[in-house]
Order: sequence, then structure tokens, then C-alpha cells
Amino acid sequence: MPPSKLKSLYLSLILAFVFLLLPWSGFALKIRPDFILLVIIFWLIRAPNLCNVGTAWFLGLFVDLATGGIFGQFALAYTITAFFAVTYQRRLVLFNHTQQLFYVFLLLMISQIVLLIIKTFSGADALGWSYFLPSIIGVILWRVAVIFGLNTGGRSRGT
Amino acid sequence: MSRRFNHKLEQQSAPAFFVRGPSPLARLAFFSALSLALMAADSRLEYLTTVRQNLQALLHPLQLLANAPSRLYRDTTEYFSTHEYLLNENRSLKKNALKQAVELQKLNSLELENNNLRQLLRTNQSIVETSVAAEIMHVGRDLFTKKIIVNRGATHNIVAGEAVVDSTGVIGQVTRIYPLSSEVTLITDKSLAIPIQVERNGLRAIAFGHGRDNTLDLPYLPTNVDIQRGDKLVTSGIDGVYPAGLAVATVSQIEITPDSPFARIICVPTGGVENHKQVLLVSIPRIAEPVETEIISAIKPDAKIKKSEIKPTAAKPVAAQPEMTKPAADNTVTGKPKLIPEAKPTVITPPNNTSKPHAAE
Repeated sequence: MPPSKLKSLYLSLILAFVFLLLPWSGFALKIRPDFILLVIIFWLIRAPNLCNVGTAWFLGLFVDLATGGIFGQFALAYTITAFFAVTYQRRLVLFNHTQQLFYVFLLLMISQIVLLIIKTFSGADALGWSYFLPSIIGVILWRVAVIFGLNTGGRSRGT
Repeated sequence: MSRRFNHKLEQQSAPAFFVRGPSPLARLAFFSALSLALMAADSRLEYLTTVRQNLQALLHPLQLLANAPSRLYRDTTEYFSTHEYLLNENRSLKKNALKQAVELQKLNSLELENNNLRQLLRTNQSIVETSVAAEIMHVGRDLFTKKIIVNRGATHNIVAGEAVVDSTGVIGQVTRIYPLSSEVTLITDKSLAIPIQVERNGLRAIAFGHGRDNTLDLPYLPTNVDIQRGDKLVTSGIDGVYPAGLAVATVSQIEITPDSPFARIICVPTGGVENHKQVLLVSIPRIAEPVETEIISAIKPDAKIKKSEIKPTAAKPVAAQPEMTKPAADNTVTGKPKLIPEAKPTVITPPNNTSKPHAAE
């Protein structure tokens, strides 16, 4: 793999991490999409030999640090999500952009549901349906990135 | 020749397409097991506190970077704030300072008097508290908990368990320490309980955070409990964590259902749990008498008090009885003759005062 790609991988991950660390509060915190997971999914689709389940796990650990929850919960959620992303990665070439969007949405939801299960086991209250808002915002962000010319590997509608 | 060429081609193309290491399923199993083990080690065995602390220190520069834009925005708006606004603010601050200076004078004399009475009673509970001002860095990122991160940590001698207070009341407790920051769990968090006392009648209870909205619950109180809407709840101080008498919450709603033996009491926190930038971390009150590891620092102020109070012993009780506003002036009077018989009647009164809460309960 060209080193430029590796460099952009690291850069995008660090940027996503800084976005996570921004002082979100109130409603913005409630709808904050999972930037790091979005970037991981992007690289899992684009360069599965650079970014794999292990990468997702490792980044999940850092997110755990930043959120201050139980150590390992985000790691587990990201691992499971990355597994599904990698398993169906080769089929993705056949998807068009809308199908890909649905697929990304499902991946984001998987991560959130895994987190919800872990949280419920540790005794947290349910937050209601608004808990899944970050997934929707995340998908919208993905769509916006595609519109602005990010190559996510999907085929455009006409071709 | 062609065979050799084919072989060469295969070798070249092989890594790009087919070498993917272990299968995704194997990776999933391995990393899931690893994260489950981590979760167990963290939540049940609590092995990872130091690891977490050190890694958090590593993250700190990134955190500062992320905080920079909002900080810059705030600084510039402050810089360009109008002259009139600053004047107004200055005026109100001065007014506040004056008011508080007067109250502080009163407090000094009351504290002296209190210590004095405690000496007479031989309940030698001199409480030493220190506080550190801190600034909120950001709100906790976990939606399930109510937490804030402040910019004072282990390097500033913060310890877990300290009470966090703002200008209007208690807002929480320090629950986790990092080298340069610490995590504060707010009183509205589900996992935090705070011992309180109703200001009106001294009734003691424990308030629990409600979790989802910014309210507190007073559970396990009978339906006939003497609590009204608008009652102010203050810290009782019996837990040894929060200093006594700090405002915590106001009762906003009381629901009594016939099928439940308990009243459902909902309170709104007094402190600006969600909207202040500066907070005060108040150290855990250390009682001078019990033997502790840090007894030297605890005893020193106590010894000072003993010396200074030998003289005004008689003066204090006399001043305490007529009116409560006067002692500010009496504070300076020291050289009065010792009147032992006069001091004795007052010995009886304090127990009555302190026993009020017990009677109410």
C-alpha cells in the first residue's frame, strides 16, 4: 500500500478523535455522530488490509478512555461492527450509493445496540428512541461526504 | 519461460488480493474475548485505574487541542465585550463582594463561637476544609451518566470523593482522578446519593439523582412526612464528605398515591448543574480528633484555635444568647475576665439545639 494512504488513514483517525473530544454539550451531545466509527467503516471498506478488526478494537479502547465509561465497551462494539463490515466488504462493490448508505446505517446501529446492551447490563436507564439519533446523523454525514466527492467505493446510480 | 513469468505474476498479485491474515471471525472472537476480559477487569476487579490515568494523561494534549476553538471564541468575545457591560459587571461584583464581606465577618465570629462551645462540651470536632477553584473543561461524553470533567487533577492534590460546589449550591462529587483533570459525577446522576436535611425542620434524608432529567428524588419517605413544596434541602454533613449547610435542592413536587406507602418527592437542584463554568472543589472535611494519616496538618489549626480561645471563653456564650447579629462586633473583645459560672448554663443549651434534628426524625 502506498504510504500516502497510510498517512491519510492516521490523519483522518486523529481528526475524528479531535472531533470526538470537542466540548459537546446539551442537544449537540445527544445527536453527535460517532465520527471515529464512521472513519473506521470508511477505511474498512476502502482498504481492508490497512484497517481491520484489530484496528477497530484498538480505537475503541481510546474512545473508552475519552468517554470514561467501562474500559472495553466501545472496543467490543467496534469489534463487532468491524466484523460485519469486513465480512460484507467485497459485496459492497456491487452496491450503489443508496444501498451503501443503508448498509452504513445498519453498521452504526449495530455498534449502538451493542453499547446499549452493555449499558443495560451495567444498570443504566434506557434513553428512549432519541438514543439512535447519532446513527441517523452519522448516515447523513456520510451522504454529505459522498456528495462532496469522497470516494466510498460505491457505484453511482447511473452506472 | 512463460511458466516462469506466470509464477512471477502470481507471486506479485498474491499479497494484494488474498493475504488477509486470520479470518474475520477469528479476529472477532479474539478481540471480543479481549474486550470482555477488559470490561470484567475494569468494572469488577478495578485493576485498570492506574492504566487509565496514565493513558488519559497521554490524551490530554489532544483534549487541549479540541478545546482550543471554543476557548478562542470565548476569549475573543470577552475581549470585545463592551465598556458598559464591564462597568455593570464590575458594579454588581463589588456589591456582591461587600455583602459577602459582611457575611464573612459574621461567619468568622460564629465559627470562633462554635469552636468555643465545642471545647466546652469537649466534643473536639474542629473541621478543616480547603477548596480549590476549577473550571469545567467539558461535559461527560457518556449519555447514560451525568458527569463533567474539570481541569484540576492529581497534580493539584485533588482526591476522589471531594464535594464540588458552585456559587449557588452543591453540584456533585469527584469520582475519578486523572493527572491533570478529574471527573465529577453530578448530583443528578443515578448512581450518586447525597445526605440532606430539610432546612425548615431539620428532617434528615438521602437524595438520589434521577438520571434522565435534571431532578433529584427523595425515596423511602412515608406519605405523612413533613415536607412541603418549596422546602429547601441542605447538606446534613453527617456523611463526612460534604460540608454541612450547603444548598442542594428545592422540593418541586410531592406525589402521594394511595397504593404506595412512600411519597414520591421530586426536587430541583439549586446549583447550576448544567450552566456554570467555574466550580469549587471542597476537600473532604477532616475531623481533628480521630487518628488519621494526615494528622499533622489537621492538628495545626486546631492547636491555634485552642490558644486563641482561652481568653474569650466567657465572652462568647454571653454574646451568643442575646442576638445573633451582634457577635461580629464582639469578636474583637478579648480581655474579659473569666466568668466560669456564666459559661456553665450555656453548656446545657447547645445539646438542645443539636438534638432538634433527632427529635424531628
